[in-house]
Amino acid sequence: MDKLIHTGDKATVTNDGATIIQLLDIVHPAAKALADVAEAQDNEVGDGTTSVMILSGEFLKEAKSFIEDGMHSRTIIKGFREATRIAVQKIRDVEYKVTNHQSPEFRELLVKCAKTSLNSKLVASYKEFFAEIVVDAVMKLDADLEKNMIGIKHVQGGSVLNSFLVDGVAFKKTFSYAGFEQQPKKFENPKIVILNLELELKSEKENAEIRIENPEDYQSIVDAEWDIIYGKLENIAKTGAKVVLSKLPIGDLATQYFADRNMFCAGRVAQEDILRVAKATGGQVLTTVSEIAETSLGTVGYFEELQIGAERYNIFKDCPNSKTATIVLRGGAEQYIEEAERSLNDAIMVVRRAIKHASVVAGGGAIEMELSRIIREYSRTISGKHQLVVNSYARALEIIPKTLAENAGFDAVEILNKLRQKHAAASNEGRWFGVDVNKGSIFDTFEQNIWEPSLVKVNAISAACEAACLVLSVDETVKAAKSEQEVTQAEMALRGRGRGRRFRK
Amino acid sequence: MASAQGQFLAFDEFGRPFIVIREQEKRARVKGLEAQRANINAARAVSNLLRTSLGPKGMDKILVSQDGDVTITNDGATIMEKMDVKHQVAKLLVELSQSQDNEIGDGTTGVVILAGALLESALNLLDKGLHPLRVCDGFERACAIAVKHLEATSQELDVFANNNELLKKAAVTCLCSKVVSNRQNELAAIAVEAVLDVADIKRKDVNFEHIKVEGKPGGSLEDTCLIRGIVIDKDMSHPQMAKVVKDAKIAILTCPFEPPKPKTKHKLEISNAEDYRKLYEQEQQYFVKMIEDVKNSGSNIVICQWGFDDEANYLLHANKLPAVRWVGGVEIELIAMATGARIVPRFSELSSEKLGRAACVREIGFGTTDDKMIVIEGCANTSAVTVLVRGGNKMIVDEAKRCLHDALCVVRNLIRDSRIVYGGGCAELMASLEITKVVDMEPSIEQYAMRGFADALEDISNALAENSGLNPIETTTWLKNEMKNDPSKRYGVDCNGVGINDMKELNVYESLQSKVQQLQLATQVVRMILKIDDVFAPSEYS
Repeated sequence: MDKLIHTGDKATVTNDGATIIQLLDIVHPAAKALADVAEAQDNEVGDGTTSVMILSGEFLKEAKSFIEDGMHSRTIIKGFREATRIAVQKIRDVEYKVTNHQSPEFRELLVKCAKTSLNSKLVASYKEFFAEIVVDAVMKLDADLEKNMIGIKHVQGGSVLNSFLVDGVAFKKTFSYAGFEQQPKKFENPKIVILNLELELKSEKENAEIRIENPEDYQSIVDAEWDIIYGKLENIAKTGAKVVLSKLPIGDLATQYFADRNMFCAGRVAQEDILRVAKATGGQVLTTVSEIAETSLGTVGYFEELQIGAERYNIFKDCPNSKTATIVLRGGAEQYIEEAERSLNDAIMVVRRAIKHASVVAGGGAIEMELSRIIREYSRTISGKHQLVVNSYARALEIIPKTLAENAGFDAVEILNKLRQKHAAASNEGRWFGVDVNKGSIFDTFEQNIWEPSLVKVNAISAACEAACLVLSVDETVKAAKSEQEVTQAEMALRGRGRGRRFRK
Repeated sequence: MASAQGQFLAFDEFGRPFIVIREQEKRARVKGLEAQRANINAARAVSNLLRTSLGPKGMDKILVSQDGDVTITNDGATIMEKMDVKHQVAKLLVELSQSQDNEIGDGTTGVVILAGALLESALNLLDKGLHPLRVCDGFERACAIAVKHLEATSQELDVFANNNELLKKAAVTCLCSKVVSNRQNELAAIAVEAVLDVADIKRKDVNFEHIKVEGKPGGSLEDTCLIRGIVIDKDMSHPQMAKVVKDAKIAILTCPFEPPKPKTKHKLEISNAEDYRKLYEQEQQYFVKMIEDVKNSGSNIVICQWGFDDEANYLLHANKLPAVRWVGGVEIELIAMATGARIVPRFSELSSEKLGRAACVREIGFGTTDDKMIVIEGCANTSAVTVLVRGGNKMIVDEAKRCLHDALCVVRNLIRDSRIVYGGGCAELMASLEITKVVDMEPSIEQYAMRGFADALEDISNALAENSGLNPIETTTWLKNEMKNDPSKRYGVDCNGVGINDMKELNVYESLQSKVQQLQLATQVVRMILKIDDVFAPSEYS
């Protein structure tokens, strides 16, 4: 389910763990520690933030009863760490690898991962549609898979299914001056000049002052200024470029000049878009127009200005060394599009991870159930207190399928029992069984193509464990008093003591 | 907000709360079914407000803005926009109608009512204990069926046949629900003509920026006319200038009729009377030179983005050069496009090939008022048209402008995609019938939700019937029955009481694209609202 969170005038609707936590503005130190873990997961792998939170919460819940029984927190921490080590190792053992990056099988794998990530989101009903878009977009990137090279643009209006991927760059029509409409809006194989330069009639130096002795000189000053700007424009026109982009404004004079010469220009293009255009077209961002070298011009297969909904977009397609892609998202409400963007972001991150480490495990709670079984079995081989702790760790892992079932509106206990039975079966066949959130039963999630990069899982489990251990290892909170502010009753309660037990003796 | 207290909190053994979230005592949280109920109610409050505005007999709303501006309209998107809704979920509906407006331009009321109806039926399902996500899934499945069915039963029409008869009728359907309905035929004809004038039939595209709708209070709606050219709300800079210029050669300038000023900070120091005289002469020279440049280029009318010096104004008049000053950038551009002129930034660059050409430029006055407008007609590469809307008062003019906008959109949509479905609630009822037919095949509990979707679709014809003073239940049941018995029938609510329910005969239709968009958008927004199970808000929010 989603949360609606107000911050000031703005409302956000999301079910992205990291976003929720960020918006909630958590102040409690222990809670904050958990929040940081979720954020770290978001930065590191981009998906699985909610899982991290749920897992670490569950670990702590299990730990609480041990602490109440007087077990030392170090013992618990040790047990948890050991269990985590085994879990990670086991994931490595069972993961499914695709080694050939060119094979269609590999692409298939990426699509499946993207779909799994999108499954829980608002756009879940269109997951096939978006998974393809996401995978195509990521595949466009070069080896280092820089995420900034995928642009996501919002255009309100239209149905989500009207969203599309531009193989290249797209950005909204910038503010334009009179004359812009007279420029051609469509080019094939144009050359592109990318500038970081203001093209406007203006004083060259801010505080310069001219003293004119006699009235005849007046005209010469006026002319000199015009000559400067015309000189710049001529230099640009001479290069034979058809499209001029600048990060800084392009004034009306320049707009009309270009219109006269059948060129297209756009000023005040956002920094990220400029960079992406430069990357896609192979051009360089220039800060001067004197002596523009042929090599610093970009080129693109096709340029067009297109009407999308109520907005107009400049679209650069078929770039020669296209290492960039743009996803144009449509949707009914701004919040809807924003949430869709967050979901796509997660999916993009997952696909990136999957490309780098082409190994996957089955999702839908299957891997957690399997780990739980293995760790439970392992716990029986340990003597001493650890056994209890490791066993409880195994139990805690079951929270993932349990929550999945609950959130889908099914009887979690029943499903969990079925899953346990499957996974406990001697043969290996049952090991990929997870929750079927559509029918309310269980199925082989690996066969159903619910795949997740194993890295996401490894990271989630280790991060959750670390967070839990961090909280457990604290035995005292010292909080600096707020300066000159009354410590309220509620804040007093913060200063808890003891191993996680929050009461004062 | 006492009840909201503690909802956030975790407690220690003594019942003291932990502070987990900053200023949590100032924030409220609504959770679970309660949150859904609150959100649904808020959204429904909005959709109920619009309900009475649906259809040809829909009522208007008066909206008074904070600074006392009055708007009277029954255009869904406008009402929503001006209402200044505070509740976040209700705001979603506002955006919903706006995105329908942006994309299609018509059906903005219908989409909100549909969303409201869907939410209402969702609430019933939630009360039965259905999980919200399953409701959403069911709705989406039903929506897909409805869209498929509408696509299958839609009719492809040759919109240009018979003197664009069909386009006109579609525009009439759109206009008949508006305050201007008594002039619907004339306005529809204007809308069709305007769109066809600028339409790029081959690409099936219409650039709306070439259609301008100008309003001027005064006169009556009948005086509304289409001008094949451009109207600008300005007058000649000198009252004695010629009011009509035939065979106009237009110079478009973006520099003022003033001595040029360098942008760099400058200072002119004059030490003796001789220099002063020289300066004065030079200034005079500038004016003379400017006029000369204009004259030499062969221009006989000047349109300038900036102002004129009184001196220049006099000289222009003396040289029989009519001029218009302070014309905005957008209009300058439009004129340049239409007349094929180039915008000239300096007098020295004026030349005859940079001039725009138009058959006639004239200044027209209205009634007894002093209002004047400049009309540029017969432009060289005309693709620009202007609809000049007249009406008794500002509110009527504004409303008429909105209506025309809707009608223009309808015509454009039909040019883009000529498949149509029938209006008057007919399309919705057909979709509803189709869903009911296939729903029993559905094995899972989404069946309930799909049935709920089918029920919600009937709400459109209910609302139409209600607004037309008919018995909603009776009408809808009868219509459904008729169509069920004979699937080829296209029956809808007979809003105008002419005694005919056959929408084919009445020529009440809408573009398929618009209907499909309505269904999809409403379903998506409903999903979004239903998926929220937790609301964190400042505590004054309720």
